[in-house]
Amino acid sequence: MEEKKLGLMSVISTGVGLIVATSCLMSLGQGAGMLGVGFIIPMVIACAINICTALSMAELNALMPNLTGGLAQYTLAGMGPFVAIVTMVGGYLVCQSIAGSVECAMFGNAINTVFDTGIPSSVFCIILLVVLIIANLLGVDMFAKIQNFVVYGLIISLVIMGIIGIAGIGTGERIHQQMNLSTGVSDTFSLLGLAFFLFIGSEFVIPISRNVKNERRNIPLGMILSLVIICVMQILIVIGMGHYTPWDELASSASPHILYGTSLLGKAGALWMILVSVFAVISTVNSAISFLSYMCAGMAKINLLPSVFLKKNKRGAYYVGILGIGAIMIIVNATGLSTSDSLSFMILVAIVFWMVSYVVSNINVIIFRRKLPKAPRTFKVPGGIVIPVIGIIGNVIMIWNISGDSATRMMIYMIDGIIFAILCVYAVLWCRYKLKRPMFKPVPMHEVMAMEHSLYLVAHKEVYVKEQIELNGGN
Amino acid sequence: MGFSKIEVITSMEKLSSLKEALNKLGASGITVIQALGCGVQKGTYEYEARQNSQMELLPKQMIITIVEDELVDKAVETIKKELYTGHIGDGKIFISPVSNIIRVRTGEEGMDALK
Repeated sequence: MEEKKLGLMSVISTGVGLIVATSCLMSLGQGAGMLGVGFIIPMVIACAINICTALSMAELNALMPNLTGGLAQYTLAGMGPFVAIVTMVGGYLVCQSIAGSVECAMFGNAINTVFDTGIPSSVFCIILLVVLIIANLLGVDMFAKIQNFVVYGLIISLVIMGIIGIAGIGTGERIHQQMNLSTGVSDTFSLLGLAFFLFIGSEFVIPISRNVKNERRNIPLGMILSLVIICVMQILIVIGMGHYTPWDELASSASPHILYGTSLLGKAGALWMILVSVFAVISTVNSAISFLSYMCAGMAKINLLPSVFLKKNKRGAYYVGILGIGAIMIIVNATGLSTSDSLSFMILVAIVFWMVSYVVSNINVIIFRRKLPKAPRTFKVPGGIVIPVIGIIGNVIMIWNISGDSATRMMIYMIDGIIFAILCVYAVLWCRYKLKRPMFKPVPMHEVMAMEHSLYLVAHKEVYVKEQIELNGGN
Repeated sequence: MGFSKIEVITSMEKLSSLKEALNKLGASGITVIQALGCGVQKGTYEYEARQNSQMELLPKQMIITIVEDELVDKAVETIKKELYTGHIGDGKIFISPVSNIIRVRTGEEGMDALK
């Protein structure tokens, strides 16, 4: 029997680790700069919508437990291979590879901003990536050790920075300014998309659920606690910012978190914020590499990706996925592509796919409630389908408000439309020539569960070969 | 007061957690029988591409417990949640009425014999 190694604290650290990224700290500062403490309202709404989605994910995990790929498999059983490929390949693999690369680039830039080493930023990014790739190759134990240390360091740092700001005990000069800049509901809605970015990724705990002790309790609880902890932590920071950093400077700063650190504690504060950024980058990229390798393995099991992603090393790590994702991130960073402004914009583009995949997940819950109303669920979202419906509506509203600027928003929709069209073509070809299944016909749940078995692909391949031989008259 | 017999046929893996759950629920005892059998899949493993044409008997276990009628729904719910993995082979639950229970050593009957 496989040993269960990770407890609730590890679930929370994985959740928090991938949710809090350096780019989130930037978004937090920019949102606060625009609305002051009024930004807390969209933050709380976005957090609540994400909790709805997290609960839906937890129910899906209870219905189809211990699946390696998570969302891809739920969608395959709920809505068929076409939607699974478009939302999961597009929503996860593509956008996470981009986001992870950007995070690494920010790490290198942050170091050079403060220390001015003269060494190209990409060198730091690549060193960091190599270290994290090795850590992930060493298996789940090392992953949990790094993750817990990094994430709890990050949480404690941000909470302390927030409390120092709120209590007014920083060494910097305390300022007096209007705390709330929000003028109404439209302000709140216009920043929902930005606020959403602060909370995405709680579902990253799902692929590690098979390694979690008492996963029935720890998975949903860990996802919700991750979101609540992050919300509280960021509220503290926003209020603290109001006491030490002018809102307009925050809004216009490219590194508002470092600006806050400097205003609060001088050079020491800047260094501390750099440290926090490093924590955030390490936890995000570490979780991303691990998650994506699981995700690739899960998609290979259900025949949406080549079976080579199922290969494990002696430590049980999906090394092909880890090396592949790591290599992509290294290449992107080495070419310097991730340092350009266009990649920040690409993050917003990618987030729309992420939101679409959240909508699909909530729809999956409703589909399974209708298809399998009596299936025993060790976790069931309370209140019927109300919470998944709120999750769907909330995510659609956030997609609608992905950017306050209408020209930027239209550009995002246009690019997403093009990517969506490309993914549709890929999905059609894959379903027709590789899967040989109807595109929109859900695969029976028991078959999706069977695909998890390591012998499934082997057994089905053997039968396929025999059938081909019979068709060719035994030659 | 009536009694019901709950018979569960399931795979070999889940006995320990099921035993704990039934104990927590207040079941007065269980009987476990190692068995061979198959269901509608005729013993085909879930990963196999073709279903067996002949019945293939796989190792199973049968768990029998007698509970008061009032406890049946709760017991069945507990058993379902404990056994559920979503995979073929999670098992089946059979419920049937029991007209009386007799403890041989003392001659007690009904509820007295159960507790």
